[in-house]
This record gives sequence, structure tokens and C-alpha cells, in this order.
Amino acid sequence: MKQIIVLCLSMLLAVGILTACGGNSENTSNNTDTGEDTDASATESNSDEVVTLNFFNGKVEIHDQALEMIKEFEEENPTIKVKLESVGGGADADAALKAKFSSGEAPDIFTNGGFKQLDLWKEHLADLSDEPWAEHVLPFAKVPMTDEDGKLYGRPVNLEGYGFIYNKDLFEQAGITETPKTISELEEAAQKLEAADITAFAAGYGEWWVIGQHLLNVPFAQQEDPAAFIEGLNAGSEAFAGNDAFENFKKVIDLEIKYGNQNPLTTDYNTQVTLFATGEAAIMQQGNWTENMIYEINPEMNMAFLPIPLSDEADADRLPVGVPNSYVINKNSEHLEEAKFFLDWMTTSETGKRYMTEVFAFIPALDNVEASGLGALGESILEYSKEDKTIPWTWFQWPDGASKDFGAAIQEYSADQIEYDEVLELFQATWDNLK
Amino acid sequence: MNKTLETGKLKTDTKVKKEVKNNTKMRKVLSYAAFVGPALLFFIVIQIIPFLMGVYYSFTSWNGVSSAIEWVGLENYKKIFTNDQKFYDSFLFTVKFMFAAVIISNVIGFSLALLLNASLKTKNILRTVFFIPNVIGGLLLGFIWQFIFVKGFSSIGNMTNISFFQQPWLGDADTAFWGIVIVFAWQISGYMMVIYIAALQGVDNNLLEAAKIDGANAFTTITKIIIPLILPAFTICLFLTISMAFKIFDLNLSLTGGGPFNSTQSVAINIYQEAFTNNNYGLGTAKAILFFLVVAIVTTIQVMFTKKKEVEA
Repeated sequence: MKQIIVLCLSMLLAVGILTACGGNSENTSNNTDTGEDTDASATESNSDEVVTLNFFNGKVEIHDQALEMIKEFEEENPTIKVKLESVGGGADADAALKAKFSSGEAPDIFTNGGFKQLDLWKEHLADLSDEPWAEHVLPFAKVPMTDEDGKLYGRPVNLEGYGFIYNKDLFEQAGITETPKTISELEEAAQKLEAADITAFAAGYGEWWVIGQHLLNVPFAQQEDPAAFIEGLNAGSEAFAGNDAFENFKKVIDLEIKYGNQNPLTTDYNTQVTLFATGEAAIMQQGNWTENMIYEINPEMNMAFLPIPLSDEADADRLPVGVPNSYVINKNSEHLEEAKFFLDWMTTSETGKRYMTEVFAFIPALDNVEASGLGALGESILEYSKEDKTIPWTWFQWPDGASKDFGAAIQEYSADQIEYDEVLELFQATWDNLK
Repeated sequence: MNKTLETGKLKTDTKVKKEVKNNTKMRKVLSYAAFVGPALLFFIVIQIIPFLMGVYYSFTSWNGVSSAIEWVGLENYKKIFTNDQKFYDSFLFTVKFMFAAVIISNVIGFSLALLLNASLKTKNILRTVFFIPNVIGGLLLGFIWQFIFVKGFSSIGNMTNISFFQQPWLGDADTAFWGIVIVFAWQISGYMMVIYIAALQGVDNNLLEAAKIDGANAFTTITKIIIPLILPAFTICLFLTISMAFKIFDLNLSLTGGGPFNSTQSVAINIYQEAFTNNNYGLGTAKAILFFLVVAIVTTIQVMFTKKKEVEA
């Protein structure tokens, strides 16, 4: 008798587990037609049916604010609900997105970096060329998300820029009156800072993207024609060794390491920003996205951008400005129209514009939206953009995975493990291997 | 009349017996199915099917996103053997790590077990304390230790000027290697300790007393009596630590992320990057299959080897 009871119980348990697992998918698919209330209203008028959009956001920094924005959207449009999911930046968000697609839970709206990323994901993306906002996207911000046929696949989230951020007060303290624009001037400034007992650089060399993408982008972007240079690398007609910009690139690394903080290889993003924000270091290579972090630690911070110079030529005074990500729409989405409507609302409605500029503090990549609510760094980027003193972000055109290896090579050099010639050889080997 | 009745009775008897036999057999099968079935089902769905899919993908050049999956035959395997220095480097790192981690964590685990098998007053508390690190997830633990290595050690170094603490622990290839070994041993030793304690408690006291009377000291008792008797525990512990050390991913990812300059990149991280960062899902799975074969072969050899040495009292 006892055995039978045990048997029954275990069978029950097994069945319970199975149904619990299997039931999930049924539940979701049934959601729309079970429940008499929704059923009745759905038959009355189709527009009353509540549609849920899945919004996959790669920018965790704005998660809370985006939730507020969605709340306002849902109040204005009661028939559409938006489910927001934010996953941290870089490769992890990418892996999460791939997992979602292969498990059949593809989001309706997500983000894409453009260029190589566009090629990779293109078959899933809806053509957005005819959207009402498309003509207002700044021409250079369209480039990453435009394919060879001229179709536009995404709406740029924002514009971002980076360079050397410097602490104006510490510069004054060290007696630096003129902001350094060339490599020699920068070295002079670093020497003056050292003489005043101030660490010049907060070097975040522990973070592969700081050096492998952002820093290394500078010699790429300072080529006469960056796109042609990258083509040349792919075709084998260009090389890293012997190229002026890449030979000069050594000086910046040397400078940062020589006048930088201790243990740059274990200095991660947070440590780097903290070093700068607390005034322990006067300069750091970062972008305007660190603004909020800095103001949180030190609301009084008086700062601006310097370019990252490679040489003493006068045209070195340019900041790399680009589009980090664009919103894209899954073309196989069941609610394609609603997704487009939501993206349009985020871009053109008064509320959407307000959130873009005032709440998210984005630099808009649209010509009909005025930036407002920017801090010192955002203003600095905007100024450089208006004067057209910008260079592009090129790493989205590099081979997949290359920037991690580039970062590793720069780390190895900065730890004195290899000579600079070998760095350029490693760059070349990585490129040839992954292209 | 009587006879026929009797034979009839006999017949029904055997019939009943057969039925009872069938019944018990049926019941046995059912109860096996009830207990093993669910686990087997999940094992098949979660492990076997993805594994077979992985085998299939390893012969393709799929990028992880596209709907077109191109069959390339042995191309991926050829590439791994002829032109993948990074994979080779990470394999070397993982093997070195495996040896260091297995030896250290088993020595610590066994020593702790010997200590805590003695009649200490605090032994129950200490057992819990040593086991706790194993309950904390690897990712979390990695980040805690990253903080200790990067911030904690350097502030101790600044205060005391001891060069041990002043090194850039995770910023240098050698020390980063040992950093991961230390954290791995710290996490896993408690687990091994529990297995060893269980085995030690099964050792017959009579044998130990006899050895004592024969004049064996503590060292010979351990090496000649205790260790041979609890070899089954060594089989399990070595198997567990070898396979865990080989497959290390979360600790490695959170402590160093494979850095500095890819010097501490384990095979698992290399595979992950190949599949998801370099967008070579096919190549990544090919590496994973090779890796599976190596781990399976090494652990099988180890289990066979230690099994042979096991004795009974």
C-alpha cells in the first residue's frame, strides 16, 4: 500500500513538473483569447485589443527613466503595452539577444551597432527608410545603419563622443594656462602636473574597450580616408606597420603609462572614473557617458574635453563622435505596426523628445530636436560637432572580436612584455586572422 | 473427478503465481520509470539534445544569427589544429591551472577533513564555515575576490609595505594565475572536505587501534591505513576537481575576464568568445566538442586508475 502511495505521489510530481514546463508556452499563446472579458472586447472592436511589445534595451544607464517614459506612453496609448528589458552593454547584451532569437522569444524592438552588426542581423530587421523621422536623422548618423541599397534600418539612439576629459581646476593649480592640443603640449602639461604633485592620467587599461576600441580608434580615424584604409587592410594593400598614425600611436600610450596611476592593468572602468572624479588624477580617456557618474561623486567638477593627439600637426584637435547604437525593429514581429508606432512616438512626440533630451540627457542625432539639459561634457561634444571638428568611430567596421585582441596587445605592451613593433605585428595578425 | 480438480487447482495456482510475478515485474518497471523517468527526460532535453545539436553545428559555419546554415565538413576542426594559437594557449593555461588547482584543493580539503574528524569542540561550526564558500555562486565570489585583490590587498600593502600585498595581483600574468587558483581552492576545498570527512568516518576504528598497538605513528597510519581505505573518496574528489577545474568559467570571467593580455583565458572563455564575440558559432562548438573529448578522456583515465588502486579492509 505504502509503495503504491509513493508511486502515485512521484508520478503526480513528474506530471506536475512536466505540465508546469510545457504550460508556459500555451499560456502565452492563449493569453489573447482566454478570459471572457478580453475575448468580448476583442470581438467588439479590434483596436481595443491590448498588444504587448518587447523592448530589449542595451543601455542599462537609462533603464529607470525609460520605464517612466513607457508609463507615459501607455497612458497616452492604452492599447499598447511595452515590456522593457535592459541587459548590460557590449558582448553580453549581444549574447543575450542571440539566445532570445534562437529560443523563439525575439524582442520587437532592440538595438544594433551598425556596419558589421547590421550585416549580421539584417535579415531580421525591418526597413525604416519611410518612417516620418527618417529624413531628420543627421546624415553621418545614418551611415552605420544604411545598407548598400541605401535602405535605413535603424534610428540612432544618440550621439556620443570621447577624448581626454580634463579637470580644469587641477590644470589651473598646476599652472597650465593653454589647453594642450598636440602631443608635445600634452606632455608638457603632464610634466607640469607631475611637478605640482598631481597624477596626470587615470589610465583604465584594465578595460579592453577603453584601449582596444576607443583609444585605438584614433589612429584609424585619423587616416585620410578611414573607410578606404579599412578596405585596404582587408584587401592586404594597407598595413599597420609603417603607417604614420599607428607609429605615432605609441607616444600616447607611453605618455599615459609614464604619467599615469599605479597598476593601470587592474584599473577598471569604475576605478578610472572614481580616480578622476575624486581629483586624484587630472585627465582620463573616457566619453560623455561618464558625466552622471562624475557629478554623482563630485557635483562641483569643472571639466571639459581635450582631443587625443597623436602628433604635433594642427588638425589633431578633433574628437571622435559617433552613434553607439540604433533602435531597430524585428521585421518578423507580430506587432510590426505597433512597434513602428512606438519608435515614432519616442522620436517625434513631444513627450518622447523631452525624455530624449532632458531626461536621458542624450545628444540627439536628429536635426529637428534641440539638445537641452546637457552637462559640461555633452556641451563640449556638441561644440566640437557644430564646428565639424569630429572624427568617426570606426570599430564597428573592424572584424568581429578584433578589438578584444587589440586591447590585449596594448595591455601586453604597457606591461613591458613586448616591444612596440610586436604590437603592430599582433594587430596585423589579429586582423588577418579574423577578417 | 478428484484428480481433475487437483490439476485444475494446480493450474490456477501457477497462473496466480505467474500473475503475481508479472505484477511485481510491472511494478518494478513502473517505479523505476517514476523515479528515473523525470530525471532522464530532463537530462535528455537539457544535455543530450543540445549536445547533439552542438555536434551538428560544429560541422557548419553558422554565425549564430543567420537563418542560412552552411555545411563545411571538417573545416572548423582543421582550422583549430592548424591555425589557432589562442586556443592552444588557453588550453595550456587550463591544463596548468587544472594541475595546480586539483593538487592544492585536495590537499587542503583532506587536511581540513583530518583536522575536523578529530574530536574538536568547534568542529560542527568549523565544518559549516569551510563549506560556506561553496554555497556562494562563482560569479559573485569572483567579484568579491576581485575587490579583495585589487582594493583590499593594495590598501594592506600601502599600510604595511609588505611586498606580497603590493603586487598588482590581477594585473600580472603569473600572479593572476595564482589568484584564480587561490580563489578556486578556497571555493572548492570545503566541498572536498565534506566528502573526505564522510569517508573518514567509515574507517573501522579497530584497524586504527591495531595499527597504534603495532607501533605505527600518525604519519604511517595516514599513509598506510587511512588513505588506502578511503581511496573511493579520492576517486570522487579527484574526478570532481579535475572536471570542475577544466571547465572553469565564471570565476575566471569575473576575476580577470581572461586578462591581462589574454594570459588567463580558460578554454571555456575562449569558446564563449569564439561563439558570441567573434560570431563564429560553428567554430566555437567545434572547439567545445574537442574540449569535451579531452575532459572525458582525462577523467575516465583518472577514474580507471584510482579505481584499480582501491582496496577493502
